[in-house]
Amino acid sequence: MINSIIIIVIAFLNYALELFPLDQQYEQYEGVEKAEGLVGLMSSNDLILIVLGVSLIIWFTLLAFMIKVDRKVTKLEQKHESDLHTS
Amino acid sequence: MKPWKYIVAIWLTLVITAGFLIDVPMIPILLETSRNLFLHVPMWFTMFAVFFAGFVYSIRYLNSFDPDMDIKAETATMVGVVFGICGLLTGSLWARFTWGAWWTFAEPKMNLAAVAMLIYFAYFILRSSFNDPEKRAKMAAVYNIFAASTVPFLLYIIPRQMPSLHPGAEGNPAFSEITAPELRFVFYPAIIGFIGLAWWIMDIIYRYKKLESRMEYK
Repeated sequence: MINSIIIIVIAFLNYALELFPLDQQYEQYEGVEKAEGLVGLMSSNDLILIVLGVSLIIWFTLLAFMIKVDRKVTKLEQKHESDLHTS
Repeated sequence: MKPWKYIVAIWLTLVITAGFLIDVPMIPILLETSRNLFLHVPMWFTMFAVFFAGFVYSIRYLNSFDPDMDIKAETATMVGVVFGICGLLTGSLWARFTWGAWWTFAEPKMNLAAVAMLIYFAYFILRSSFNDPEKRAKMAAVYNIFAASTVPFLLYIIPRQMPSLHPGAEGNPAFSEITAPELRFVFYPAIIGFIGLAWWIMDIIYRYKKLESRMEYK
């Protein structure tokens, strides 16, 4: 479940980034063309959003790991409980 | 998984996002690092909360001799030490770029925090020196009550009596009227969020340890 959600989120971000390809900027050298859309937004505010993105990636990875371990312990508890009843 | 854990996950995500996005006042020397207030300080508040929980569990163990209380006390102490180490490391990094040194022995709060950590490391050394689980639990509970009672002196009372660069020294509060008020809107939720996270980690470790002990003595 969690894995599929992560894959969907990554796929969406990939798609969103490809809508606004960076190489458009380099097609013409006369003047600097501002990037638009998501890339433009991420490039603004002295790049603080990149640090936010990096932090959120780490946070979500740790969170996914914690949820996974939590569920594994729950499964083990249930198994232990049913072992007690059958024996 | 219980619903409160999802609330903690969403809450802390919002706190982190808000911590990066709100406008902080640009104070000389501090600059953008004032955002560290949302990360470094909650580490210590979480450590206090979790150590206090461990203190309560240790007293409850000595009242009831319930082995689960011993597991809870050990778990709380473990998580508290982890948050304390995070507090020391983040503080050291912050100090390097605002005070100019990774570590300074002239700074009472920094050194006494390290002393508190050492007192808690001894808790685990003490635990590992007993083979009999009942003896271990009793000794650990008594030691933990001592360890927890040193924390307010080491991290609150003594640093406030001494001159220091760290906020909350020389009788002043750490959070004063010169601190920008908008920082509080992220700071207090951050404390709640990190305590929630610590509680979640404690829950996982406690359940694991309990299962382990049940399987051993079946």
